[in-house]
Amino acid sequence: MSGLSGEPPDMTGQTPEVSEPTPESKVPSVAARLALWQRSGGVITPILTALIAFLIGGLVVFATTGKNPLNTYKAIFKGTGLSWLSPVSIHWHLFYPAGIHWTGWDTTSPTALNLQQTLIVVTPLILTGLAVAFAFRCGLFNIGGNGQYTVGALVAVQFGVWFAGLPGPLHVIVAMVAATLAGAVWGGIAGFLKAATGAHEVITTIMLNWIALWVGSYLVGFNGPLQDPRAISAPVTRPIADSAHLHVFWGNPLLQGLHIGFFIAIAMLFVYWILLNRTTLGYEVRAVGFNAEAARYGGISVGRNFFLAMAISGAFAGLAGSIDILGWEFNLDLTVVQTVQVGFIGIAVALLGRNSAIGIFFSALLFGALLTGTSTRNLDPSVFQPELAGNLTRIIQGLVVLFVGADLLIIYLWQARKKLRLPQRKAAEQP
Amino acid sequence: MSVRVQPLQRGAWTRASAPSTIGMIGIGLGLVTLFLALPPVKVRTAPLPVAIGILAVAAGIWAFTRGEHRLGGGAVVSGVAGIGIALIVLQANAARLEGVFVWSALIAATLRYATPLTFAAIGGMFSERSGVVNIGLEGMMLMGAYFGAYGADVTGSWVGGLFIGLISGALLALVHAIFTITLRADQIVTGTAINFLALGVTGYLYNQHYGNNGTPENLPAVPDVNLKFLSHIPPQGLGNFLYNSIGQLNLMVWLSLLLLPVSYVALFKTPIGLRIRSVGEHPKAADTVGIPVYRTRYAAVTLSGALAALGGVFLSIGFVNSFTENMTAGRGFIALAALIFGGWRPFGAFAAALLFGFSSALAARLPDLSASDTAAWPLLFQTLPYVLTLIAVAGVIGRSIPPAAIGRPYVKQ
Amino acid sequence: MADERPVLELRGITKQFPGVLANDNVDFDLRRGEVHALLGENGAGKSTLMNILYGLYQPDEGQILVKGEPVRFHSPKDAINRGIGMVHQHFMLIPVMTVAENIVLANEPTRAGLLLDTNAADRRVRELSRSFNFAIDPEARVEEITVGQQQRVEILKALYRHADILILDEPTAVLTPQESNELFEILRTLTREGMSVIFITHKLNEVLEIADRITVVRRGKRIDTVDRQGATEEGLARMMVGREVLLRVEKPVSDPGDPVLTVDDLHVFDDRGLEAVRGVSIEVRGGEIVGIAGVDGNGQTELIDAITGLRKAASGRVAIGGRNVTGATPSRILDSGLGHIPEDRQRRGLVLEFSLAENVALHDYDKAPGSRWGWLFPRQLIRRARELLTQFDVRGGGPQTRASALSGGNQQKVVLAREIGREPSVLIAAQPTRGLDVGAIEFVHRRLVEARANGKGVLLVSLELDEIISLSDRTLVLYEGEIVAQHGPDVTEDQLGIEMTGAGSKEAAA
Repeated sequence: MSGLSGEPPDMTGQTPEVSEPTPESKVPSVAARLALWQRSGGVITPILTALIAFLIGGLVVFATTGKNPLNTYKAIFKGTGLSWLSPVSIHWHLFYPAGIHWTGWDTTSPTALNLQQTLIVVTPLILTGLAVAFAFRCGLFNIGGNGQYTVGALVAVQFGVWFAGLPGPLHVIVAMVAATLAGAVWGGIAGFLKAATGAHEVITTIMLNWIALWVGSYLVGFNGPLQDPRAISAPVTRPIADSAHLHVFWGNPLLQGLHIGFFIAIAMLFVYWILLNRTTLGYEVRAVGFNAEAARYGGISVGRNFFLAMAISGAFAGLAGSIDILGWEFNLDLTVVQTVQVGFIGIAVALLGRNSAIGIFFSALLFGALLTGTSTRNLDPSVFQPELAGNLTRIIQGLVVLFVGADLLIIYLWQARKKLRLPQRKAAEQP
Repeated sequence: MSVRVQPLQRGAWTRASAPSTIGMIGIGLGLVTLFLALPPVKVRTAPLPVAIGILAVAAGIWAFTRGEHRLGGGAVVSGVAGIGIALIVLQANAARLEGVFVWSALIAATLRYATPLTFAAIGGMFSERSGVVNIGLEGMMLMGAYFGAYGADVTGSWVGGLFIGLISGALLALVHAIFTITLRADQIVTGTAINFLALGVTGYLYNQHYGNNGTPENLPAVPDVNLKFLSHIPPQGLGNFLYNSIGQLNLMVWLSLLLLPVSYVALFKTPIGLRIRSVGEHPKAADTVGIPVYRTRYAAVTLSGALAALGGVFLSIGFVNSFTENMTAGRGFIALAALIFGGWRPFGAFAAALLFGFSSALAARLPDLSASDTAAWPLLFQTLPYVLTLIAVAGVIGRSIPPAAIGRPYVKQ
Repeated sequence: MADERPVLELRGITKQFPGVLANDNVDFDLRRGEVHALLGENGAGKSTLMNILYGLYQPDEGQILVKGEPVRFHSPKDAINRGIGMVHQHFMLIPVMTVAENIVLANEPTRAGLLLDTNAADRRVRELSRSFNFAIDPEARVEEITVGQQQRVEILKALYRHADILILDEPTAVLTPQESNELFEILRTLTREGMSVIFITHKLNEVLEIADRITVVRRGKRIDTVDRQGATEEGLARMMVGREVLLRVEKPVSDPGDPVLTVDDLHVFDDRGLEAVRGVSIEVRGGEIVGIAGVDGNGQTELIDAITGLRKAASGRVAIGGRNVTGATPSRILDSGLGHIPEDRQRRGLVLEFSLAENVALHDYDKAPGSRWGWLFPRQLIRRARELLTQFDVRGGGPQTRASALSGGNQQKVVLAREIGREPSVLIAAQPTRGLDVGAIEFVHRRLVEARANGKGVLLVSLELDEIISLSDRTLVLYEGEIVAQHGPDVTEDQLGIEMTGAGSKEAAA
């Protein structure tokens, strides 16, 4: 099982199997145009991809429930609180705005609360997106974000319970670092196995997900070592000490306000970019991801980078687990362990964001909004059943991942046509 | 592609043979450790199994350091596992041990757990032999599981369920084919998308149709095959043993066993199989003699979805008689591991599926060793199949060569 | 001799690829029983033309006539049905399958209508092989037979399908001169039996030996078609390249200095665990070019990999500038004064998705001034790259251009710039001109000679005998993992050719 390139396969690189000399005079213009299309395609195609996915998702809604998908999406959007960002409320009459009301930024409105929820969900998604993206840049497909997240959450909760006497910031840092390291170890196992034996990371990370799930279930579940002895009837850990709570900077701390973990995630986007583009480690990782054979020839240890890339990926996911625990969950529930999805959604986040820091931010926002908007709490069941909507999210997520590969083909065909200024009959006709 | 043959020197052979022999002996010793601790032998003291286990590990290390990495590693693993299981087993009382290690029941359970894996692995074999990686087996299986149950419910017959399940898997595989073959998208990314889609679609439909009540309890099930005559085979002990192990298996278990020789012949003894393999090894070579590469791959991938879905159908209406969300629980990936482990061959994949099936059967029964019903640790046994798969793909025990063109989209000019 | 009526005609074939006009209004015809050579440089459009004829590509314009009848080939199957067979440069054989399976593929004899009849297949292949005097075992797996035999399997594949027009694409590229002669013998037999052959090559001497007529193509255009009688190497070369060609590289007499690379009794195993290098000892001194001649697959790759640290040697010693580097990591070996122009620039030499600046930094990204304490300074990489790209005359892009945007020749210049720019004491050049056009070849040769003049030792591994002979001060012949002969500068192609097959005496000269 090879054929996994650093980025989704780059169709633009595929010229026919001829090494005909390119007329020298033409090269710069063609190359320039290529770069231009790639840049513009870099923004347009993900948006198109998402639109197509939502369109098909809408068709599913219509076909199965007969409901107007637009209303469903509207209800979902309402639950995300994103409208809070716009301080005016517009009443549409058919196609023109009938009235515009200044609503202002009321930080206690339900919309504000919803937005806080959305951003709380966006936070781990940014990190699990990074966990997938970083491995991707090394040519590895990390679908073990779930397991790495779980391990991070388990460690964070235990470190949050321990060291109750520590001063707040120190306690938070200790718990976060420990969780990050745990995630790094969990990811690193897959990286190590890949480096040492060539075991494919897709299979090993999936297996590690399940192992984390069952080990976590054992630890957290009934009579497990981490189960709260005071709540014997519930499979849940002890709550972490107050000193380990992340500071809430927006909203009511008692009502799940937005905590500073959000900024940690944003900071990690910068860390990700710098790590990749401004360090020798990033250079090595990218070289291995693009062409492992050339990297090896260049003196780079491929195995070492496989390990490091997976460990760093795991660290991002482990950090995500700790931020959720320290930011708003405060304890770990068996159902959470068994139904974690953020690692998988991270795949869609990374792919739709094209492994770029900015892209990951926006696609995390999209999926975070989708998750919040479809949650039982935020979606009006009379409009659409939240259980269905949750699965609708999965379908959309699957469609996004599916079409991310195909959008490259669209660019490729577009380029081929433009470049030649000739109708590319055969290439277009033939499948 | 230039190849030069060089006869391997005789000296090299004898040099290589000694560590490999020791390695195999080591694996054997590990199995003996296991055998000693379990019924019917049941040595009830630690020293003997532990001593033999240590011997196995020592032999493994010796072989490993002399270049026999696979066999040596295998011996170490089997030795450690032997000691570990022996020690666990010693903790349990003898009566419980008898209860857990009823071999006939274990054999039956192993076959049952191996069946979905076998279907999916054989399906994966067709797809991968034609050069298309199929990470989406899990999703195709899940489709089969849901639509098998749904179809059985709607048509009121297990046959209807089987066909509807089969078709649903084939359709999902067709999506995989369109994206990977025609659109040349990355096969692994697409496979992952397929899994998400299946999870979403089955979860969505399940919630819509069955909601909180679950699938109906009177779901038509694939019947068991009752081979009563087996129990009359003398002596009585043997007859009962045979009857209890293979006398009451589900029809689909037998179907999966039948699939093995059929798929072997199809792949290795027919022109169609030759063409599928040629497309997976060297698509351009196949193309230059006029084999339609795309069509062949489409057919192989679609077939793989249908077969994987049969595995899912068995899960829902042959095994547990209900559908639950994400009920495949990583089995598609384990099947993939079995396929790789078995060298992309039907019987090899089946042997691996049996191994994983056995570990699942054990995982289901070992909790009974515990004296208390409330102890949490038996949950850890649930990790057994996954740990075993991890070890297997890590290639400690074996490493096989995939079809040469696997994972690479074919660009027809 | 040849019948005048053409069995095959190509009229006005035009084929455009993104950015390249591969065939521009090309005419070509083939008469019954002749060998018609299609002569041109790498990238002149020969293979494209033949792929069109074989139905692999569709022409944008033009017409194909077989026996006077216009045809359209949508796939190779159509071409096969019209009696056209093709032996591709890279064999279209499946290594893990048997000879018979490869030959009958897609036209398999069956038993009971469904099962593959292996016995019948073996029998048919054996008969066919015997009737043309090929000694081929139908049950052998393709990966187990020699390259020469593999080529015959390819020919049998065409004959099995009743081809009467045979296209051979660069058939001698992988053969020794002796094996080439055997191939020519086979072709003569085939043409006597009425077969027509299109022989694609860029080698002038072969054309004059085997062809009845010669069509020369350059940059996608047909230049001329001439009879063999009256054609000369010089004339053909001029047509092929478009200008006078320097057939010999001018270089001063060598003045070897101290040994810069010493390889001592090296043993290396290949991927399959077979001993590919068996006790090779080489000494390269500063200021000389040592060539290694040999048929592909005689241990060249493993030898270079072991010297450069990309593969572990089973035993033996490698020293660079007197320092023992046996078993060291590739990066340590590179830092001890080794430059390595790898065999395959796209697979190994370059990270195609990287910018040129990043590619130039491939060995030194972790050293000042490009980086410090793990921190990378992209501007420094660009500055360094700009210098080297100017120095090595890389065209088609600047430091921030992606390597994939360059032509093959310019890509190779980037590799040269990186490797020679690091001022190594010894330079290993593995097939440094493979797939390049004449201009780029000359450039590479000049740079190698220049490196030699600057006192560097050069180890040149090449499959092209004329390259070896024109550049090397000393030539070693590698056969089955052993050095079987050693020569000074004045060795002939024939002599090397004989020794490359293992026929020469061992350790002829010291």
